[in-house]
Order: sequence, then structure tokens, then C-alpha cells
Amino acid sequence: MAEITSGKPSQPAQQPVQGRRLSDRQKDIIQKFAALGSLIVLAAVFSTTSSAFLTVNNGMTIALQVTSIALLGIGATYVIITGGIDLSVGSVLALAGVVAALAVKELSMPIWIAMLLGILTGSICGLINGFVVTQLRLPPFIATLGMMLIARGVALQITGARAVSGLGEAFGELGNGSLFRFESLDEQGFPVVAFPGIPYPVVLMIAIALVAAFVLNRTVLGRYIYAIGSNVDAARLSGVNVARVTIFTYVVSGTLAGLTGCVLMSRLVTAQPNEGVAYELDAIASAVIGGTSLIGGVGTISGTAIGAFVIGILRNGLNMNGVSAFTQQIIIGLVILVTVWIDQLRNRR
Amino acid sequence: MGGTPLTVPKADLGRTLLKLEDVSKEFPGVKALSNVNFDLRAGEVHAVCGENGAGKSTLMKIISGVYQPDGGTIFHNGQPARFASTLQSEAAGIAIIHQELNLVPHLSVAENIYLAREPRWGFLVDRRRLLEDAGRCLDRLGVSIDPSRQVRTLSVAQCQMVEIAKALSLDASVLIMDEPTSSLTEQEAQLLFRVIRDLKAAGTGIIYISHRLDELAEIVDRVTVLRDGRYISTNDFADVTVDDIVSRMVGRSLEDKFPEPTRQPGSEVIFAVSGLTKSGVFSDISFEIRRGEILGFAGLMGAGRTEVARAIFGADPYDAGTITLAGETISIANPRAAIDAGIAYLSEDRKSQGLAVKMPVDVNMVMANMGAVSSSLGIIDRQRQRSASQRYVDLLNIRTPSLNQPVRLLSGGNQQKIIIGKWLFRQPRIMFFDEPTRGIDVGAKFAIYQVMDELAAQGIGIVLISSELPEVLGLSDRVAVFHNGRITATLVTRETSQEEIMHYASGSGRRGEQE
Repeated sequence: MAEITSGKPSQPAQQPVQGRRLSDRQKDIIQKFAALGSLIVLAAVFSTTSSAFLTVNNGMTIALQVTSIALLGIGATYVIITGGIDLSVGSVLALAGVVAALAVKELSMPIWIAMLLGILTGSICGLINGFVVTQLRLPPFIATLGMMLIARGVALQITGARAVSGLGEAFGELGNGSLFRFESLDEQGFPVVAFPGIPYPVVLMIAIALVAAFVLNRTVLGRYIYAIGSNVDAARLSGVNVARVTIFTYVVSGTLAGLTGCVLMSRLVTAQPNEGVAYELDAIASAVIGGTSLIGGVGTISGTAIGAFVIGILRNGLNMNGVSAFTQQIIIGLVILVTVWIDQLRNRR
Repeated sequence: MGGTPLTVPKADLGRTLLKLEDVSKEFPGVKALSNVNFDLRAGEVHAVCGENGAGKSTLMKIISGVYQPDGGTIFHNGQPARFASTLQSEAAGIAIIHQELNLVPHLSVAENIYLAREPRWGFLVDRRRLLEDAGRCLDRLGVSIDPSRQVRTLSVAQCQMVEIAKALSLDASVLIMDEPTSSLTEQEAQLLFRVIRDLKAAGTGIIYISHRLDELAEIVDRVTVLRDGRYISTNDFADVTVDDIVSRMVGRSLEDKFPEPTRQPGSEVIFAVSGLTKSGVFSDISFEIRRGEILGFAGLMGAGRTEVARAIFGADPYDAGTITLAGETISIANPRAAIDAGIAYLSEDRKSQGLAVKMPVDVNMVMANMGAVSSSLGIIDRQRQRSASQRYVDLLNIRTPSLNQPVRLLSGGNQQKIIIGKWLFRQPRIMFFDEPTRGIDVGAKFAIYQVMDELAAQGIGIVLISSELPEVLGLSDRVAVFHNGRITATLVTRETSQEEIMHYASGSGRRGEQE
């Protein structure tokens, strides 16, 4: 009883109502744009600390670096909205990349077929994840943890844990080429880059993000993904094929991991079975920073894209300012905690 | 502490424990409470009545420290008080027993009662004293529950007793009970009332919220009515009738609790179930529904009514039996098949099975019929979604600020109407209503009864599963009585009585033997 603070009956009653309502609204606006706002603030800060930050070239570099996080993040968003999680994407992208590389090198397949094979490998991993989650009814965390180990193991096994190199220049086209690149020759005959072009991976990322957002917002399938995450029983009793929709989200995640693997390996023109370790955590982080709720039912692709750029710009900007990789990790960790905390504040009340 | 019995000197009976003056609370866009007065004396049961959305829950949340009032004053034991959290109100001796019980299923009864307050032996839990103290709390309630049992093995009624024991162990002088009997059988409710009378005699002040007005007479001393967030009246229960209370709650007098039927059941059988069996759950269930008829499923909790409905709907598997719809035998493997065949099921638990509560009204409304609001490619036509939702919001008179409102912010009656709208949009031929009015206020109940009657009049076959016998009698044309997973009798409502139904529901033999 000692803990009760005594009230102040003389206090005017209308005052706190007014004050609270205003601050509620302000809070809502601030939080709604928290991620986007911090993105803008970050960009502004880094532009003042480093003159090389705000250039077309660096913009393209950031966009290129962000592609893998964003592609994986889109898959993670689909899965997390249903209330699941996919821990396997880092390993799956490595497996997909080495499968594509080996198909070129050992089986002499045309590059585009080999890449499709790599992407398909990712889809199959996702399909297995979805099957284990919906049919064997294992928790998604366990199911994809298993796949994380298995896919990595297979990638190491089929390559003998060695990098696959000597893939030829054409293999690097997807990762290193770009659209609308303008070059001219100077007096000595050396090429001068007038516009660096938009890297193919960035084009892919934008296209896939648009399609993914459209599916989520405008289609019946997207509606069902939200419904399952919001209330799986209600969805089932409304006639939603819960298993099929859930499997679909894991297939999307796996397929995008496969694509990311091919893009990454192509950029290096070498397939590394050890590529992509812990990328799943970046993917989940980008979704979560963008407002996706791990409880399910909530999340957007635009949010995830912003989340991916927050992580990408932080890394790039901190690098330019000579901040060590270790400090970068600490800062990104703090950013995740703060953004999710702010998001929770909004949903509390 | 903890072990001492809760007794208040007799002289203290009638002392004012809690007094609220001109309490107001506003949420964005909604005035939830305006200038509400309320007081609670030691040793009384004070009922708070009102339709859903009248402000009862908000008031209780203010008393228990979940919300802070925007205006007005709370006096606790004569002193102005402000509870900034439930911890503070608990420390002040105010305990609330929520409609959704808050127990940890995998811990024992004793561990639940003393959760976070375990008697310690150094830094270890003193298990023996824990069990002893818990046993004493339960004994005082006169209930025999083994304190070492895991809570998940208990019935709802037993869980409630554990909650009350927990409140007792907290030395609560104010106990708030929110819909305590909503999922209890008649016998369990009687046990609860006995415990409430004992607590009353010991000087506890009890705030009692219930939609079952007929049970108030058993225990209630005073009754306060709220309507639309406003304070209407406080009376000694002896001075008012249930009809007075109802008319104050709805702001008009209700001539009848049930609408005059407009339907005329035909003779054509549109739906038939025969020999439906699921081993260990129900067996040999046979019934038929005629065009435009409402068939009641009566019976005690756990008699298998919901299980039968879920099996027919394809939500759970069954072992044997045939289902015939409009003369055709159909097989139903999952809810999708049932929905496609024209069967709808309104689950008994709205929040956990019926609605995606975080999602807006229109999204929920079209959820069972996405095909009708999307192109063949599966792209949603938002215009069609809105117009369809608006049609059912208007048709069913659903009160919502907009179609974008998340359904969790609506009252229970409006939520139920959204589920009805969701199924109507699918144009079903058979509808199962499982406890359609549980936790719904009187006015909304009447509206839902009316909707059911109209649907039947349009030729839809309706099954009404209800634990409230007056509801079954007031609404259905025939009643199938369940006992222990079997239908023990199918009676014509006009020719039967509450007693006869109870008779079959309790399994005490056939009509002939009893007379």
C-alpha cells in the first residue's frame, strides 16, 4: 500500500488529456517513419563526414552491397509474416552458388542454365523447409536450423571445401555487369566512365522488390500470408490452405537465397562454399528494422528495403569513416535494438 | 504473511473500500468513460452491468491500474489513490480475475498461486511450505484440488478456483470478477457462488461483471449500470428487477428477449447427418435439417456438440458416418471442402478461431470468399472488397468507425456480426452457430437472433449450439439434446420444456422411464 502515490484532485482534468493526445499522435508519426527517418539522418551525417559518400559511384556501390541483404530480407519477410523464420538462407545461397559454378565447370553447361539450376537448388531447399514445417510439424526454427547445417555441409562436400574458380568471364556478367553504362575513350584511348550504369543485381533487386510487394499487398496469396500470421486457426476455418501458403513462403525464401548465391558468386567469379555465413541474420535484421513482427501478421516489403539500406549505409559510411569492423557490429546491433524497441512502443499502449 | 486467513472484523462490513468520483477516460476518438461514479463496500457483491462497449472493462482496468484515468479521483480506504500499474493495485489489495484466465499451464497449482512470491529457504524454493500454504488457501475455499497438480490438467472451473485462491493469498480486499461463469457448467457455477458468499461474509468486496443477468439474484447486493461510457444508476439489487436493469443497459425497454419468428420451416430435408462417429468423442450422431429451420444443439459442456460441428465442417477428422446435402452425399476432408459445399461454421471462440483481430474489418469480411473480390489471376479488387464489406456492415448494422478499423477494437457483438457477414458473403446453405452470443450484450444478442431468424426465413438451414437453454428454447424449432457424445433425444421446441431438456442432457434416462 505504501507504493500508491497519492493523487492530486486539484489538478485540472483536461490538461493531461490534451497533452497525451498530442504526444500520442506525434509518437505515431515519428515511429511510423522511424526507419525511413534514421535512413535519411544516416545519409546526411555520412555526407558531411566524408566527401566521397554522396556520389553516384558510391550510391551504386551501396545499392550493390545492399542487394544480397535485401533479396534475402524479402524472403525473410514473407516467412516471418506467417509467423515462421528461415535460418537456412546463408547456407542455401552458398549451396546454390557452388551448384551453379560446378554445373559450368564440371558439366560444361551454358551459364544461364547453370544459374537457373542454382536458383532451383534454393527453391528445393525452401520446399523441403516448408514440407518439414507443415507436414512434419517441426517448429520453423528447428526445421531451418537443420537445413542450415545440411545445405552448408552439402556445399562443402561437393566442392571438397575448396573454392570453385576459373569459371570464365561470362560467369561474372550477372554480378558485375550493369545497365545503361556509358563509356568514352580519352585521348590516350583509355575508357572514361561517363555513367557507371545500374548494376544488374540492383535492377534485379528493384524488380523483385516491386513484384514481392505487389503480391503481398494486392493478391489473394498475399492476403492469406498475412491471415496465417495473424490467426492461423481463423485462416484455416475460413478455408485457407494453410500448408500450401506456408510452403510457398519458404520456397520464396529459398529461391531468393538461390538467386542471391548466384549473384554473389558471379560477382566474385568464384564459388565459395563458405560464402554467406550469418547472412540469414542480416536478412532477419533488415525485416525487423523495417517493422516486420516476429510474432507474425505484420510486415512490409518497403520496410524491409529500408531496413536493408539502413544496414548497408551504416556499413558503407562507417567504413569510409575508418570505423573498424568490430565497432560496426556493435553499432548495427544497437540499431536493431533501438528500432525494434521503438516499434514495440508503437504497438504497446 | 500469505498464510493468515482473510478476515475482517464484523464491524468493518459495509465500510467503503473503494470509491470512484467522476472518473473519465478518453482514447483517441473514443470517450470510453465520462464522469463515472462507483463505490464498493466491504462484504458486498457489486455487479457492474452494461452492454459491450459500455465501459465496464475500461472501468475495471482503471481500478486495477492498467489504465490511468484522465479525470476524476479514486479513493482507496478513504484516501485519494492513483494506481500507476497492476503491481501497485495488487499491493493495495485489489485483485482481478480475468475472463481469460492468467495461469501458467505447465506449473503446478501451488506454484501458480505463489508465482514470484514463493516461500524461500535461502535462495531455494521451500517446496513443502509452498504446497502447505497453497493447500490451506484451497481448503479455505472448500475446494479439493491437489496443489501439486499441473494447471493444464485442470478444468476451467478449477482454474478459476486457483485464481481465487491466488487472490486470497494476496490478502485481496477487493476482488474483480470478469464474466466468471461464462464457461462454467451450472454445478460449477453453484460452487463458485458458494465461494463468493463465503468471501462476502469474510468482508471481501467483490465487483462482479456478468452478462448472465439471471444469475445476479444468487449473489448480488447492489448493481451499477453503465451505458455508452456513462454512469446510469446504482441500486440495491432488491429494489430493481432484471427487466429494469436490461432496459437501463440498452436505454429502451425490451419487450421480448427473442424476436417473433418470421420463418416458416418447410418439410424438405436439406441437410442430413447419419451415424457420424469419432471414437472416444461422439458416436452415432444422426440428425436432419429442413429448409428454413433452426435446429438447436443442447447439452452440457463437453457433451460433444462442438466436436460434431467441427467434424462436419472438416476442421477435425471423423471415423464413420455420412453427410448428405441437398440429397447428395458429400465427403468433407477439410474446411475448404465444407465451405465449397455451402457449409459455414461460426466458432465458439471468436478471437482465437474466427477473426484475424489485428486486421481491418474489410479484410476479415471477405476472408472466406476471396475469389469474389479478386481477378482470376488472384489480384484483389479493393473496390469490390470495400463495397462487399460495406454491404454487410450496413445489412448487419455493424458499428465501426471505418472499414479500416482493426477488429480487435470493436465490441464482441460487432465482432460476431463481422463473422456472420463473412459467412453470408459466401452464401452458405447450412450455418452452424456455435455459442453465437457468448460474452455479447443484450441488445446485440437480440440483433443476432433476428439475423438468424431472417437467414432461416431465406431458406438457410441453421444449427444453433448454445449452453443457454432459454436461448435454445427461444430460437430453435427443434432441439437435439446431447449427452456424452450421443444424441439422447430430438424434441420439438414447442412441445418441450427446460426441465425435459435438462433431463436428457444429464443422461438420466428416456422420457417413458421417468414418468
